[in-house]
Amino acid sequence: MNKKAGNPEHWLTDHGDYLYRYAMSRLRNEEQASDMVQETLLAAWRGWDRFSGNSTVRTWLVGIMKHKITDLVRKEIRNRKLAEAVESDPTSSMFNADGSWVEAPRSWKENPEELCESEQFQQVLEGCIGKLPEKQQTVFRMRELTGEESETICKAAEITSTHLHVLIHRARLALRTCLEFNWFGGKRQT
Amino acid sequence: MNHFCREASQLQSDGLDRELTLMERIRLRMHLLICGACRNYAENLELLNNLFHGLRKQTEEDESITLPSSDKERIKEALKKASES
Repeated sequence: MNKKAGNPEHWLTDHGDYLYRYAMSRLRNEEQASDMVQETLLAAWRGWDRFSGNSTVRTWLVGIMKHKITDLVRKEIRNRKLAEAVESDPTSSMFNADGSWVEAPRSWKENPEELCESEQFQQVLEGCIGKLPEKQQTVFRMRELTGEESETICKAAEITSTHLHVLIHRARLALRTCLEFNWFGGKRQT
Repeated sequence: MNHFCREASQLQSDGLDRELTLMERIRLRMHLLICGACRNYAENLELLNNLFHGLRKQTEEDESITLPSSDKERIKEALKKASES
């Protein structure tokens, strides 16, 4: 890589769409994604002298963007001051007092690749995620949609890793039930 | 009889995010041998895991998703301003 190639307008032309897609895959919000592209390129411009040339410009830009996205999510969590109080515990309604399932999970015979292609399924999925209690939802989105490392999420949400695991577990249970009901045909009327 | 399903569901979820201890792994495996409902839960979780992975990758590779040209112009202006100052 030529160090002289530090031209932010070229970065925009060559990598703008790629960065935008990357941000969209994590944030699923057009406005935020395009803001992230701008912030990333500006930060890259300011930090150009730190680019070592050991990686491609694109890899370097994506590295910057990851930090920007984490900062953004952290700020959102701070602003909303998510209640520290214990949020609803779905495990109490999903398990009997003896620890067995109230309603046993069924086998889902669908192919994840086909589900990814289905807009209808994605709507149901988004609806189910949207129904999760706020804090569960935020950490769950970071974990599964943003693909963030546990350590980063804990720092952003200011929680312990034990607390994170409990929240994610509850979110998964609730999401599974919601999807079974609304998609995989648990009680779906057809 | 006391069932292990409730604890098993937490362990299965944890197993996706951290390394389980040897004892936890043994307890979970023993339980899965005898519990079809929890095996289904394991299968459901795996499907969800693959699904989210697929969704992230899909958006990342979908070339029909492009930075809107109005945003591109705005960013170009911002970069020009930054490089001049």
